[in-house]
Amino acid sequence: MHVSLLTIALNALLAPWIWRVSPRHAGWLLALVPAACFAWFVAAIPAVAAGEVLTASIAWVPALDVALTLRLDGLSLLFALLITGIGALIVLYSAGYLHDHHHLGRFYAYLLIFMMAMLGLVLADDLIAMFVFWELTSVASYLLISYQHEKGESRRAALQALLITGGGGLALLAGLVLLGIAGEAWQFSALEKGVVQAHSLFPAIMLLVLVGCFTKSAQFPFHLWLPNAMNAPTPVSAYLHSATMVKAGIYLLARLNPVLGGGAGWSTILIGLGALTAVLGAVLAIRQYDLKRMLAYTTVTVLGQLTMLIGTNTTYGLQAFVLYLVAHSFYKGALFMAVGSIDHSTGTRDLRHLGGLIKLMPITGFAVGLAAFSNAGLPPFFGFIAKEFKYTGLMQMGSIGWTVTLVMILTNALLVAAAALIFFRTFLGKRGDWPGHPHEVPAFMWLGPLLLAIGGFGLGAWNHWPETWLVNTAVQSVATGPVEVSLYLWGGITPAVFASVLTLGLGAWFYFHADQVRHLATRLGKAWNYSGDLLWDLLLNRVFQVAGWVARQFQHGSLRLHMALMTLMISISVLGWALVVGVQPFSAENLSAVTVPGVIGCLLALGGAAGAAFMPGRLVLVASLGASGLGLALFFVSINAPDVALTQLMVETLTVVFLAMVLRRLPMVPASGSRYRRVSIWHGVVAVVLGLTVTLMIMTAVSQPLPGDLAEWFLTNSLPGGYGSNVVNVILVDFRAVDTLGEIVVVAIAALGAATLLGAGQAADPKPKGLPEFGSVLLRQGMRPLAAILLLVSLVILWRGHNLPGGGFIGGLVAATGFTLLVVTFGRGIRRGLERITPPTLIGLGLACTVGAGFFGLASGLPYMSGHWVELAGIKLGTPLLFDIGVFLTVFGSVMHMLRNLIGRAG
Amino acid sequence: MEWIAAITAGIMAALGVWMMLDRHLMRVVLGIAVLGNAINLGVLTAGRFAGERAAFVFGNEAVTDAANPLPQALVLTAIVIGFALFVFALAVLKRTHELHGDKDTDKVSAATEQPAPDHNEDHHEPEGRA
Repeated sequence: MHVSLLTIALNALLAPWIWRVSPRHAGWLLALVPAACFAWFVAAIPAVAAGEVLTASIAWVPALDVALTLRLDGLSLLFALLITGIGALIVLYSAGYLHDHHHLGRFYAYLLIFMMAMLGLVLADDLIAMFVFWELTSVASYLLISYQHEKGESRRAALQALLITGGGGLALLAGLVLLGIAGEAWQFSALEKGVVQAHSLFPAIMLLVLVGCFTKSAQFPFHLWLPNAMNAPTPVSAYLHSATMVKAGIYLLARLNPVLGGGAGWSTILIGLGALTAVLGAVLAIRQYDLKRMLAYTTVTVLGQLTMLIGTNTTYGLQAFVLYLVAHSFYKGALFMAVGSIDHSTGTRDLRHLGGLIKLMPITGFAVGLAAFSNAGLPPFFGFIAKEFKYTGLMQMGSIGWTVTLVMILTNALLVAAAALIFFRTFLGKRGDWPGHPHEVPAFMWLGPLLLAIGGFGLGAWNHWPETWLVNTAVQSVATGPVEVSLYLWGGITPAVFASVLTLGLGAWFYFHADQVRHLATRLGKAWNYSGDLLWDLLLNRVFQVAGWVARQFQHGSLRLHMALMTLMISISVLGWALVVGVQPFSAENLSAVTVPGVIGCLLALGGAAGAAFMPGRLVLVASLGASGLGLALFFVSINAPDVALTQLMVETLTVVFLAMVLRRLPMVPASGSRYRRVSIWHGVVAVVLGLTVTLMIMTAVSQPLPGDLAEWFLTNSLPGGYGSNVVNVILVDFRAVDTLGEIVVVAIAALGAATLLGAGQAADPKPKGLPEFGSVLLRQGMRPLAAILLLVSLVILWRGHNLPGGGFIGGLVAATGFTLLVVTFGRGIRRGLERITPPTLIGLGLACTVGAGFFGLASGLPYMSGHWVELAGIKLGTPLLFDIGVFLTVFGSVMHMLRNLIGRAG
Repeated sequence: MEWIAAITAGIMAALGVWMMLDRHLMRVVLGIAVLGNAINLGVLTAGRFAGERAAFVFGNEAVTDAANPLPQALVLTAIVIGFALFVFALAVLKRTHELHGDKDTDKVSAATEQPAPDHNEDHHEPEGRA
């Protein structure tokens, strides 16, 4: 069973490609897989009919106990046969119907994805897995309805369908989760009626599940979307919106009937709303001139009747449910496809312009005739048996049942009239005036309707076959207890026969007075039209308005307000948390002694930052920022962090250079603060609150005892494990090398991104402006060796970094500083010298080194990035050194790349 | 010392945010650098300044009063990443100035914002109603 899902999904993925390779043969090629699945399910019929239940399971989210358990019982099998069988015919039909559409491959893909999802839905035994497939069908339906997305109508219909079914899906999810909790089981097969119905959550579960099912199956008042969904191409309407997807809700109702059903509430809601939907659909259907819309509304009717039949829970009612389900899928699928063919060949679906087509399209006409007879419930068609059983089932319920029966007689009479209209008005009578040139459609297109129509006839005429093999087990899976199943065309003179005769008589009368009936229905419908779709538009409009209003409150376009609110929010949440937990920032013990260099460093950092924050000008800003960074470097030295101090020093140098280069081109920066005093105060408050929060948090952290002995571990293992004395460097290139790899990737990405922005538009510039060179010969001659020395020094720093202050990061930055000297001296002349080794190459090389260094560990069976060492002439060489070289190259390359692009434009 | 460092980090963070709230984009970019420095200092402080010596171990010495190496390693890379981010912000600033000639924080967001392609699309065609 998993295989069938998988192959259909695979088929869907391959569909666009197959279509591109062979547009003419794609149709039947793609239909092969569903057909094969159909054959597989047919082969499973004997086993299932014998009462066997096939299951297969794959763990999906073991932690949450969600498994992809598939379970094939009578009901699932029935649906699976319909999905794959009709699906295969639909794929064939689409090949003819949409043969000239330029996105047909995509269409096949959507259709097959839907098929997979729908099949998963009916096979899944797990509640959650079923829900996932359920939602997937909604998504696929959205894509298929909006397939002709150039039309605004299609987009609107698709959105409406998605919102209604998606909203119902949310309710269903809640219902299923509650059901799982109440039933203490997450499999349909493991749920027990007694446990669930005794639970206090039962009413909530029932209502939520019902909302989900009713939206999906277009029950009143959620039926709006189904007629609009007819904007989809006809194969979609035939498949999703009549034969399969809209029956997903019905399926779930049937599936849960043994668990949730039996009570008065369940029956009342299902019968009441089902009957209401049925009448409504029939009244709306008879008004239509558009064949497809008429079919859509009759589908609504049928869905209502199916819902109602589940609610009866009588032996005949449930048999009728299964019979009607099958009969409807057959004749409605056939009718939809045939209407599509008529539309395709005559260019219209309007009843007023059709007539006398039987001579032009005999095969389609034959199929429509058979299907319409089944639709009308004439013997010996399958539809007739379904209708007989329906009446009997309703009558079994007593007085309420009789009332509903009367309503259903009226409804079915309207259906009879509709069926008659579809066949007689279209194919018989006088020739219509159509825009197209009618012709019999190709075999791909008449095959589906014909097979389905003949099937509807065959199942009825030889009704022992479906009784034995299909209906029996399906009914047993729906029913709360065992039900005796026996189908017959003629059961003697029963009340149901009278009801049938009455239905046909009334239907005939309706047909011959179609115009009056339509007139009456239109009058009734006027009120409906006003309260239905229009209300939906109004509602949706309101939702958009509210959403727009909410968005405007937050997306006001002011960066500063965003920033201020976000900062304030962070401060408030952290401070609030601190208050709730009751942190103690003032109880820190074992604090280190205050040192003079440390204090000087802090003061310098603060003074510099304050200068950068408040002063006007450009040079001042550069200088203050540099001073702040240098102060920080001094502080790092005072707390015994030489590597950090060195890094800070180099970074600060480069920062100043970059800043100076960019600032030259920018206008003067005024003093900080807003024009308005109020805004300044507000910003000041936000800033001060954040500052307080930061200080408080740091001291709270310091007041806690240092958890674990990580520091000690690193200090103890650095030399024996990493062969390095510089613990910080060993951590970077060995113990935590994967982290470092991630970090230098970030640096590389930032560099590549920044370089693009810095040098953007350069190629379009015919005369690239460059940084003017310093005219001084002395400087130029002096700089060359100095830069070379810096480069050498950087290599030394890299090499010794494992044991003494230094390493790849610092080495790379020192090398970059040397390069910066060259840039400042030679301006863009340096670019020519760089053509041989471009900085991106260096970055790539560096990343390759770091990534490659990890594989040595892998090769010797250790985890990725484990150190690997060899001893050469008394010197330990290891992969961490290679890694550090990679870091060096990446950092060096990144800075060079940014600088190179900067000088290309500045000037 | 921790207190002094924590207060320094706090004030620098406040200054950084103050700068990022400034009208002028240039100062916003500088604010990113200052805020980054403040956070680096904060991370180091949270790791405590215990120990009299830098975190170096040589063969025959017992490891006792060395500084905590882990926050140092973290901050070392953070500084380099902070620099890369700073240059990226600088590049955005430069490009914005070239394209829009504007360096006012709020005006820039208005200038660079483009309406969504289907912004004015009518969702409510009257056709297709039942």
